[in-house]
Amino acid sequence: MASDVDEFEFFLEKAWSDGLPVVTPTEARVQRMLQGTRCAPDEVVGHIPPLLEPATVRTVAIHALMAGCKPDYLPVVLGGLRLMLREDFNLNGVQGTMHGVAPLMIVNGPYAQQIGLHGGNGCFGPGFRANASIGRAIRLLLLNLGGGLPGVASATIFATPLRYTACLTENTADSPWESLAVSKGYAESDNVITCVMVESPRLCFDDVSEEPTRLLTGLADSMTDMCSWNMHTRSDMVVAMGPQHAALCAQAGLSWAEVHGRLCRMAGRKVRDLKGGGNWRRERALAFPITVDPDDDDCFIPAIKDPHDLQLIVAGGWGPCTAICHGWSGGSHAVHGTYEE
Amino acid sequence: MSNNLGFIDPTAGGGVAPLPLARRRMDLAGATVGLLDNTKEQGDVILQTLGAALQARYGVARVVLRRKEHYSKPAAEAIIAAMAQEVDVAIAAVGG
Repeated sequence: MASDVDEFEFFLEKAWSDGLPVVTPTEARVQRMLQGTRCAPDEVVGHIPPLLEPATVRTVAIHALMAGCKPDYLPVVLGGLRLMLREDFNLNGVQGTMHGVAPLMIVNGPYAQQIGLHGGNGCFGPGFRANASIGRAIRLLLLNLGGGLPGVASATIFATPLRYTACLTENTADSPWESLAVSKGYAESDNVITCVMVESPRLCFDDVSEEPTRLLTGLADSMTDMCSWNMHTRSDMVVAMGPQHAALCAQAGLSWAEVHGRLCRMAGRKVRDLKGGGNWRRERALAFPITVDPDDDDCFIPAIKDPHDLQLIVAGGWGPCTAICHGWSGGSHAVHGTYEE
Repeated sequence: MSNNLGFIDPTAGGGVAPLPLARRRMDLAGATVGLLDNTKEQGDVILQTLGAALQARYGVARVVLRRKEHYSKPAAEAIIAAMAQEVDVAIAAVGG
């Protein structure tokens, strides 16, 4: 390398980063990163909207390297990107939207454990290399190959801290239930990623409830924010139940499916309430995929319009808290699938 | 793509080939104007008002209104191809 060029400044000046220094991609480092996959380097993974620059296995490896990934993480980055490029996920819309959602990767299965993905204490925050760098690799790809930069192709008003990284696994050690992947029909031994477009998590504390109905009443209330798009369109949502809250439900005999079902039924507001603020519009209600009567003040509008839209996981450390991530307005549906380790 | 600094360009030498703009029609008299509704609320109202004004003030012969599947998704190829065949000028609008 030329000694008179500061490699970190070089990449920042080129706008080839998220604003933080990146690991400088050199040919030797890229070759080491490519050892993490059996895929051919010139295989085209897809084209990242809206610029539609091609993402090959090699360019994905370059970005994984820049983000700080180990070669072992590369299969998860490749698997996540392949899912995000599915039409149902509508990455094109999210790259341009005013909203500030990010593609959260929930990684289940033995490979997530093997590479050290974290789902426990502090899992949405810093300190865990796999979580930090896998999600960052995805973001760098969306910026550098997709053009999702504010002021370029993105009209986002605030964006979200989740646009630095958004990747975690579940706290399987402390969960009383099956994983999200198993709830979707996969085997425990499958390596599965679920991608969901969400806002940053909001934290729901409840150190008072001693039985599920009271606990779920509070959580359901947090799911129905008047200004969230979940109340005004069909939209995904992630409920990351802390293991203490999950244990309270499980000890009362509730299964994952029963808690999921209760939250779907309980989370909602009446038309009368929704009219008082936020994004309520009669024509939006008429466009729901379920039948509601927007002219009936007592009509109950559920936050979850389709049960497939609620991704219920167990994550975080021990304590009386659950994290809830609201979704996007623009017609993205969560995607999931296996990936090759 | 390596450069002489020994770093690799992460964009891998990509770059979309520039597309030439279609020729612009300078006169709307007798033209068929296509209006593409992106499905956001009131987008259709704005477009219909605009279409009527273009007919009244500029001699537009015909207005064709089409609607996308969803505001956050690109228009389907079939809609774009049909409009390209049918209209002389197209206007896309967003409601909201």
